[in-house]
Amino acid sequence: MRYFVSRVMFFVLTLWAAVTLNFIIPRLQPGDPAQTMVQRLAGQSEAIDPAAIRAVQIMLGLPTGSIFEQYVDYLQAVVRGDFGISYTYFPYTVTHMIAEALPWTIVLVGVTHVLGFVIGTLLGAAAAWKRNGKFDTVVSLGSTFIGTLPFFWIALILIYVLAFTLRWFPEAGGYSGEIDPAWSWAFFGDAIYHGILPALSLLITAPIGWIMGMRNNMVHTLGEDYTRLALAKGLRQRRVALTYSARVAILPNVTGFALGLGTILGGTVMVEMIFGYPGMGKLMFDAISNRDYPLMQTIFLFTTIGVLLANLCADILYGVLDPRVRREAQT
Amino acid sequence: MTERASLEPGAVSPEGAGSPLLSVENLSVSYAATRAVRDVSFQLHDGEFVGLLGESGSGKTTLGNALLRLLPPPGRISEGRVMWWGSARTGEAREGPEPHRAGRDLTTIGQEDLRRLRWREMSTVFQSSMNSLNPVLTIETQFRDVIEEHTAMRGAPARQRIGQLLEMVMLDPSYMRFYPHELSGGMKQRVALALALALRPRFVLLDEPTTGLDVIVQRSILDNVRALQREQGFAVLLISHDLGTVMEVSDRVMVMYAGKIVEDQRASTMIAEPMHPYTRGLLGAYADPRAREVEIAYIPGRPPDLSRPGQRGCLFAPRCQEAIDVCRAEEPVLSAMGQGEAACHVAEAAYAAGDGRRDQSARAGEVFTAPAGRTDRGPRVERRQEVLAVAGVHKRYRSRRGLKVTEVDAVQDVSFVLRAGTVTALVGQSGSGKTTLARMVTGVERPDTGSVTFGELRVDRLRGRGLKAYRRHVQLVFQDPFAALNPAHTIGYTLSRPLINHQDVTGAALRPAIEELLERVGLSPASTYIEKYPHQLSGGQQQRVVVARALAPDPEIIVADEPISMLDVSIRAEILELLDTLVRERGIAMLYITHDLLSARVLADEVLVLHNGKLVESGATLEVIRGARDAYTRQLLDAIPNPFATRRG
Repeated sequence: MRYFVSRVMFFVLTLWAAVTLNFIIPRLQPGDPAQTMVQRLAGQSEAIDPAAIRAVQIMLGLPTGSIFEQYVDYLQAVVRGDFGISYTYFPYTVTHMIAEALPWTIVLVGVTHVLGFVIGTLLGAAAAWKRNGKFDTVVSLGSTFIGTLPFFWIALILIYVLAFTLRWFPEAGGYSGEIDPAWSWAFFGDAIYHGILPALSLLITAPIGWIMGMRNNMVHTLGEDYTRLALAKGLRQRRVALTYSARVAILPNVTGFALGLGTILGGTVMVEMIFGYPGMGKLMFDAISNRDYPLMQTIFLFTTIGVLLANLCADILYGVLDPRVRREAQT
Repeated sequence: MTERASLEPGAVSPEGAGSPLLSVENLSVSYAATRAVRDVSFQLHDGEFVGLLGESGSGKTTLGNALLRLLPPPGRISEGRVMWWGSARTGEAREGPEPHRAGRDLTTIGQEDLRRLRWREMSTVFQSSMNSLNPVLTIETQFRDVIEEHTAMRGAPARQRIGQLLEMVMLDPSYMRFYPHELSGGMKQRVALALALALRPRFVLLDEPTTGLDVIVQRSILDNVRALQREQGFAVLLISHDLGTVMEVSDRVMVMYAGKIVEDQRASTMIAEPMHPYTRGLLGAYADPRAREVEIAYIPGRPPDLSRPGQRGCLFAPRCQEAIDVCRAEEPVLSAMGQGEAACHVAEAAYAAGDGRRDQSARAGEVFTAPAGRTDRGPRVERRQEVLAVAGVHKRYRSRRGLKVTEVDAVQDVSFVLRAGTVTALVGQSGSGKTTLARMVTGVERPDTGSVTFGELRVDRLRGRGLKAYRRHVQLVFQDPFAALNPAHTIGYTLSRPLINHQDVTGAALRPAIEELLERVGLSPASTYIEKYPHQLSGGQQQRVVVARALAPDPEIIVADEPISMLDVSIRAEILELLDTLVRERGIAMLYITHDLLSARVLADEVLVLHNGKLVESGATLEVIRGARDAYTRQLLDAIPNPFATRRG
């Protein structure tokens, strides 16, 4: 129990640090965002009217007061979920934009991440159990081969063959223009239909790492005395493979998986750009190319929180799965 | 000594009447080109306690794995059968289906049949690598899964049974809630033993069950095994390299060399009358440290490489002192002679001619003697020059976890002196503070209080450059020679480093200096070793290289940390002799750290016995070992398996 409490305390501490850094860093940057914005609206050569800058400052709700007051305001805003107004998507708030993009990403990347882990771990375990057999050879060689291919290349081939030539799937987008985004079955079906290609391209490469990791770990645990003893005990093959060999071999993979969860919130810039998918990756890309500081900052904050949560998840999962870790924290 | 008497084999008649329980017929096992087990045949009867004695690479563990059909790939049984004759045990009802009465060949029966036979009929305790329990399951689960797999027992009765099993090996039933990492090494091995007996098997294979455990723990586990074996009547095959243990607890002993069983006879007669020269050699490497005079011998040479095809004759012949012409031409087969069986032409001829006695003493091989007094070794110990003095040192370790601080007194008020040309043995079990003291001597660790003085130098106050300069005077010989040598460098390179760093030997002078070092440690001709890599040498040769490296800076002190414990029994005396010669000839002061009182008895002038960080006894070796005053020292001495003493008594 102490182990879990200490992990949660550590999480709260790092979260506070991350939020604070997110407050400090933009304030260390030179320049005034209002000035930048007016400049952009007016064009490079025009002289800037100070009144316009003031107007923009008020419009964007730029901070005033001492640094300490700002900090308190900021913390309150974070708790309320108020991150200001996006420059690019004015007059929408940052929160609104993120709320729009987040579900797309969570579904696409989340589902493929989990599926990739499950498929990869199972394949890796099966390959290790039948090591040096036909299945192992195909899986090991196959994953090594696919692992060398660049991801975007696979995505482009998929678009070319399945979308452009065969016309089975749409080439881009998260949903069709003619259907209103609403909570309807038609819309869900359409969204899933659009999601298949990006998901497929993610799923081809996602399991590779898990396959290799699981196979190597499990080949190791298969050679351990406790696995051999389990065989000598006359337990069923399935039980030996799962409870003795795979159960221990999966531990490092679980950490990797949980840590990977953190990156979901950031989306995958490459996939979303290639498929024109309306998720966090695309939003981040747009924010960066338009110097949309509030949006960028908030996305970074989300990513950080995601990674921290994932770390907490990994620690807790590991604590549940590996009794040795729990004890280390106690003594 | 009542405990020792209870271990006397022979109280139960080992020769169970009638058919055997297990018979191995012409079994051969190979790993790719290596024939690890060659044409082995033997029988095991119900309730018999048989020892399988062999050194590393003899094929004893491979044989054990083959019996259980647990050979790791690419190992496979290339020839022969392992017949299991599971006739029903008399007077005992067994659950489940009646075991098969007809013999079954374990090498060919189907996986499912084999699985049902496993653990119910035959179980095992693996080498105490501390790894034979699943780290993520509780002890209870690991009992429960095998009980539920093979019997109808579930729930509370199963739990009760597990509790009984743990009590049987002298563990509290509450330990069943624990995970393996929460238990000590000895406790884990007890759990493994209880697990092996969970289903009351007919046959238990014990593969080095106590190797790596402290002598006292080792002793108590073996006593436990032997008592349970008498009580429950299962048959045991005990695989071990430790002659003392095997001889003491087994009814019958089989000796394995180069993949073959070379001798098979009752332990009691083997002690008195070993037939094979290899057995004689092994027995010669063993002695009672408390005897008035201790002689230990070694067998020169090294075991053959079994991957090389076309080897003719007896594979022991190249190391054999008694070999005759026929030994080099024709490989002997195991046949009845004397009071057992042996595979040896010489012994066979001797038995054919008469009572089998041969001229040479049983201690064949080179002999390394430790005389009762040390009169031959220069002036009395007290008059020799003091090299290093450790005075009243304390060391306390703190470990902090959150707000809780735990303190361990690793060393408390220890004082001793190292003298030139003298070996001081530091004896104690793991955790006694031996290593901490060694680290203080080498300057790696500083005592909290007290002093370590080398001549005028306060070692405990050295830092930086001074410490580096001091290292030249103190060198180390490690336990595992292979781990102590960088596998990526040749022997020549490894030895050149200390010469360059400490002795400023460079250029053309380097090679002769290296060759001289190699010759000095008995690796001759040196030129054949310079270009070799560590893996190309045997364990004994590697340890010689480690000793040569320690000699390179011409040190005043050598700290040898268990230098022979990883080596095969038959060559241990060889390294001891080398260390002895170097110490006497070069006037080196040696701190010899060990848990092995026999080697301390042979090599050391003085013995310091360490227990829980305190010096409990110290003095001249002979006085300490023969006239131990401290209770702990006596306990250590009693824990040494001692077949010689028992037989005499």
